[in-house]
Parts: sequence; structure tokens; C-alpha cells
Amino acid sequence: MLMEDHIRRNKQLTIVVCTLMAFLFLIVIFAFGYIFFHDMYIALLFGLPVALVYVLITYSFSVQTVLSAAKARPANPRNREEKLLIYKVEEMAIAAGLPTPKVYVQDSEHINAFATGKKPENAVICATTGALKKLKADELEGVIGHEMSHIANRDILIATVTIGVVGAISLIAEILFYSMFWGGAGRGRKGDGNAILMVLAMVLIILAPIFARLTYLAISRKREYLADANGARFTRNPEGLAKALAKIKSDHPTDKPKGSKTVAPLYIANPFKQINISSVWSTHPPIDERIKRLRSM
Amino acid sequence: MDPIWWVLIVIVILVVFFLLIYWGFYNRIIRMENRIDNSWAQIDVQLRRRAELIPNLMETVKGYMKHEKEVLENVTKARSALMNAKTPQKNIDADNMLTGALKTLFAVAENYPDLKANQNFLNLQDELTHTEDKISYARQHFNDSVLSYNNTIETFPGMWFAKRMNKKTREMLQIPDAAREVPQVKF
Repeated sequence: MLMEDHIRRNKQLTIVVCTLMAFLFLIVIFAFGYIFFHDMYIALLFGLPVALVYVLITYSFSVQTVLSAAKARPANPRNREEKLLIYKVEEMAIAAGLPTPKVYVQDSEHINAFATGKKPENAVICATTGALKKLKADELEGVIGHEMSHIANRDILIATVTIGVVGAISLIAEILFYSMFWGGAGRGRKGDGNAILMVLAMVLIILAPIFARLTYLAISRKREYLADANGARFTRNPEGLAKALAKIKSDHPTDKPKGSKTVAPLYIANPFKQINISSVWSTHPPIDERIKRLRSM
Repeated sequence: MDPIWWVLIVIVILVVFFLLIYWGFYNRIIRMENRIDNSWAQIDVQLRRRAELIPNLMETVKGYMKHEKEVLENVTKARSALMNAKTPQKNIDADNMLTGALKTLFAVAENYPDLKANQNFLNLQDELTHTEDKISYARQHFNDSVLSYNNTIETFPGMWFAKRMNKKTREMLQIPDAAREVPQVKF
């Protein structure tokens, strides 16, 4: 498939994901409202604007949030390694036909990189100092090519929006849970028949964040393969990224990874991995499989 | 209802459907053409950037490499040829000549340790290498854009719309030490 088809498919997937998320969202809000106010309409009137504002705010501040969570700083062109990183990002941007993203650096011994931003026009690519030290030029290029693909495929947009929505769903579920403990619900004004609905509502509240997360993770893994493939297309050198992934796999740095778990999918490799779990719960496909696919190109 | 109404409704739906597809392809083809033009302009920008760096480089090295007249002259000659190139192919030929001349210059510079310690020289060397990489990627992107475009207007059903719009296939750049194999993306 052409890159254009992949991008189009991604955009269509976004719509599907957003619809699904919106649906889950609505269910959660209904349940929330029903349990608290025993009236759906009040719930909607109250809950929906709050939820929308929450998602909008997380979306607007997404870039700053991710960067400060990662404690990233702008790359310093006076430092030769960082200057060469800036050069690599510029080169990949030209290969992708996109404006050059801003370049940031995260001080960490881990080998990793991530991309963030709302549109290609205001995108950011960040690499760790560990990556700059431990990777050779063609390996670093492979990694940057992968991140550039994420930007080109509009993955960063989808990731940001879904993170916001998943976060909102989880937040509401949590609020509800805590309020249960303090006996805020179930005054049973309308009689026992509604107890069943109450239980149903609670079950939905518990399951919704799980479904949201599973959808998000499934999509996220497919996108990682796509980013590997397109990155290889930009660099014309799949072996570079394959070698970088192999190095990441065998790297055992001593300092703790920075950044929250939520933004893990934006990185090239899961910074929180202890073993290579290839379960439905992981945001990235197993490294061995990624290397195998790259080497078969 | 009269069957004739059903027939008319179906016809209207088909026409609308066809128009929507035409709209889609029309926009797609235009966008791809724009991308080709844009990527061509980008190659030009980088070539100019490299040409701009050369005088700086000459100033920095001439004090150190006084006896390498031929090497330095080759670079200057190649640069002029590039500035005067009018066609895309002449562009590439002149560009190759300049790349070769610069390679020789940097190889010869290895014999001058004082020059190699000069920070200005090192920065220029980095930047020239970087600019040459950018030129190479810009060409790659141009060829990729042309390939996508050609694929769209040559395959079914794009070819119908392309004919209506009077669009012809474009030529890719022939680069001597050609790009490495495009990896087979099995996805």
C-alpha cells in the first residue's frame, strides 16, 4: 500500500476510534449521572460539557504536558552530538516532505526517542542523551525516521486525542468509585427496581476504561509496525533501525525512566518494560518481531 | 409509486456517487502534483545553500592549502557550473562534479593537521556534509512524489480522471550513484 493509503486509513481509523470513544464516554456519563442524580438529563447537562472541556484542555496543552513530564530541553546546537541530531531531524523532515519539527533532548542513559505535537507544523521530536551516545549514525537515523513516520502518519494526533479521552473516562470512573465508598449513591428514592440499573451502571463504569485502553493499545501496536516500515522507506536502510532496536533490547541502564506511563506509546520502545511482554496490554509490539520484519524488507 | 420514479432516483444517486469520486480523485491528483513541485523547489533550496557555503570554505582553507591550487580551482569551477546550470539534468551533472571536487578537497585536507584543528573548518565540513545529505534526501522525496503521482494516474480508475484533466506522467531523476533499493514494505 502507498503511504497515502496508510495515512487515509489512519484518518478513517481515527474517526472510528473517536466514535467508539465518544460512545463509551456517553455511556459512562449516563451511568455517572444516573447514580448521582437519578436523572439522565441533568447528568448530560452537567457531565458532557465538563468532559469536553477536559479533553480540549488535555489536547491543547498536550505538547507542553508531554515535554515537561519527560523533563525535555531544547537541543543545543553548540554541542556536536546534539547538533548532529538536529541535522538528522532536518534530513528526515526533507525525506518526508514535512516542515522540520523542533528538536528536544532528554537527559537519560536509556536509548529512546519520542515524537509529539498536534500537527506536523508544530511537531516535536525528542531523543535521549543515551541514544546520542550509544547509537551509531545510521542507527540514530533509523530511530529518527521512525519518529518522523509517526508525525507523517498523524499518529501523534490520534495518540494525543485518545490519551485525553481514555484519561477522561478513567477519571470519571475513579471519581465514581471513591464516591461510592463515601456512600454518595443509591439512596433508592425511586425504589428497588432501579437497583439493577445501578449495578449495571457500576459494571459499565468499571469496564469502560478497560475497553478504551484495549482499543487504544491494539491500534497503537499496529501503528508501531507502520512507523517502522515507513521510517525504513525514508532512510532506505531498514538495517539501521533493526540494529538500533537490537541495541535497545540489550541495553540495561541504571537510572529510572522518566515520564508517565500514559505517554509511553509515543516512545520508540516502551521505557517501562522489564521483560518483553507481547500481551494485549503492551503498547509496543515485541522487539524481536519488529527486528524480524525490518530485516525481511 | 411509478417505476419511472425509482429509476430516476437510482440514476441521481449514481450520478452523485460518481461526482463524489471524481471530486476525490481530482483533489488527490492536484495535491500530488503540488507535492512534486514543492519537492523540486526543496532540491533547489539545498543546492543553493551548498553553493553559499563554498566561498566561506574557500576563505578558511586557502591560507592553509596554499600549494593545492588545482584542488581549490576545481571546486570553484564546479560551483560556477552549478550556478549556470539551466536544465534539471545539467543541474545534476554539475552537482556531481562539485561533490567530487569537494571530496578531493576534504581528502587532501587530511594532510594539513593545522587546518583540521580549525573549528571553523570543522563546522563548515559538518554543514557541507549535512547539506549534501539534504540534497540527496530532497531528490529521494522528489522521486517518491513522482512515483506516487505516476502510480495514481496510470492505474485504474485514476487514469480516467487523469485523462479528463489532461495530466501526463512525470519523469524521475536519474541519479548516477543511484539510490539504494527501496525496501519491500510488506505490511
